[in-house]
Amino acid sequence: MIDVRDLALDALDGRRLMEGLDLVVARGGNLLLHGPSGGGKSGLLRVLAGTERPARGQVRIGGQEVWPGGGILALAGHVRMGFAFPSGGLLSNLSLRENIALPLRFLGVSGTELERRTGEALERMNLQAVAGLRPHAVSVSARKQANLARVLALDPELILLDDPLEGLDAADRTIAQGLIQAWAADKSCTLIIAAEEGDAFSYLEAARLQLSHAPMSVELP
Amino acid sequence: MTYLARLGAPVRGFLEFLGDQAFLVLHTLRQALLLRMGQLAVVAGQTKLQIRFTGLDALWLVSGTALLLGAVTLIQAFSQLSGLGAENYIGVLMVLIILRELGPLLTAVLVIGRSSTAIATELGAMQLNGEVDALAVHGINPYQYLLLPRWLGVMISLFVLVVFFDTAALAGGFLVAKLKYGVTFGFFMNSVRQSLSNRDFAATLLKILLFAGAITFHACHFGLRIRRSQTEIPQAVTKTVVSALVAVFALDGLIAALFYF
Repeated sequence: MIDVRDLALDALDGRRLMEGLDLVVARGGNLLLHGPSGGGKSGLLRVLAGTERPARGQVRIGGQEVWPGGGILALAGHVRMGFAFPSGGLLSNLSLRENIALPLRFLGVSGTELERRTGEALERMNLQAVAGLRPHAVSVSARKQANLARVLALDPELILLDDPLEGLDAADRTIAQGLIQAWAADKSCTLIIAAEEGDAFSYLEAARLQLSHAPMSVELP
Repeated sequence: MTYLARLGAPVRGFLEFLGDQAFLVLHTLRQALLLRMGQLAVVAGQTKLQIRFTGLDALWLVSGTALLLGAVTLIQAFSQLSGLGAENYIGVLMVLIILRELGPLLTAVLVIGRSSTAIATELGAMQLNGEVDALAVHGINPYQYLLLPRWLGVMISLFVLVVFFDTAALAGGFLVAKLKYGVTFGFFMNSVRQSLSNRDFAATLLKILLFAGAITFHACHFGLRIRRSQTEIPQAVTKTVVSALVAVFALDGLIAALFYF
């Protein structure tokens, strides 16, 4: 599903974050990127998602060339992707329910199927009470849950989660962990998680890639 | 060499800007053709929102401005015309000043002030909040969801606003002509009608099409370039207004030369 060759990634200040990264993740595989803040985890996720251009290297997702190339637009209609952002990422002029439904509507899902999938995602993430509110009117925790709910409703084949447990209270964390575990067990979807502390995902059967300011090391389970 | 490079930098910047504008327009048109049936409803919903903000919400402002402008133009012009015994040219004057030039131009200026600033601000805030990236990664093409509805919305709104502007300006002109000089409605409209030609309609339509593109894509260009900080938003808005105004005046001159020179 993911094929990365000789990737180099720079920070916003021009510092080189990683150099010569080769990475292959098979369809249905799971990968946990972990390491200290500023190590390039989020940047690598954005490169994989096609929203950030790397300094160098090739990235292919589902056989489609993302970099060098058109980035995310090269994947349109080829790979169904879900991305849970660490903050923001929800349209501020739409309610949480509309935010979750929008990608489905654009996919052509409508009527009862749209309502069912949106409703199930909201219920699974315990967001029914705030579903009609806009992102600015709900807690940080609810916004993160809504990001996960949008991914859940979309039923994507590639899931990218950026710090999905950060800022969640205990109850929401349990719900999110259950969902992530289900995705990890699902062989039809490929799961990539970026998190500062890998221990929070010790229960996951996943390849681990530690990113730091120093050269990287890969630990396979 | 450094001196030459410094001299060439603004030219290169301007050419890059034109290239980016052309890319945005062509890409938006291409993505419009690729829209599927289910996506049309989403795009139509966004277009309606843009029409409401740019068109409906500005209707009173545009009509009021035009009414006053039409009245003032006629007060100033009629006193000169009647002194020369040339009252019959009242229609020519209204068509020349209001319908041909000021109608589309002032409406575009008002839309730049209200809507292009809003579009640049909104898109900039969406960039900073990761909303544009979120749309793209979840299969919602930003050209189809953000750019196309704004372009269509501004185009339709501009058309409606120009019609209202021209109507209100003529009404303002007629009111003054009637109250102060006793001109009849039939005489006034006949004079206007005789001065209007199909070329005027074609020129106005072309202006609306090009102005709408300039207003929308300048705002999108500067709004979507915001990457890092909220302090970039006011800078982008200022650049949008200045750049769109220059573009609209340049296009107006170009069309005037093309049709009437």
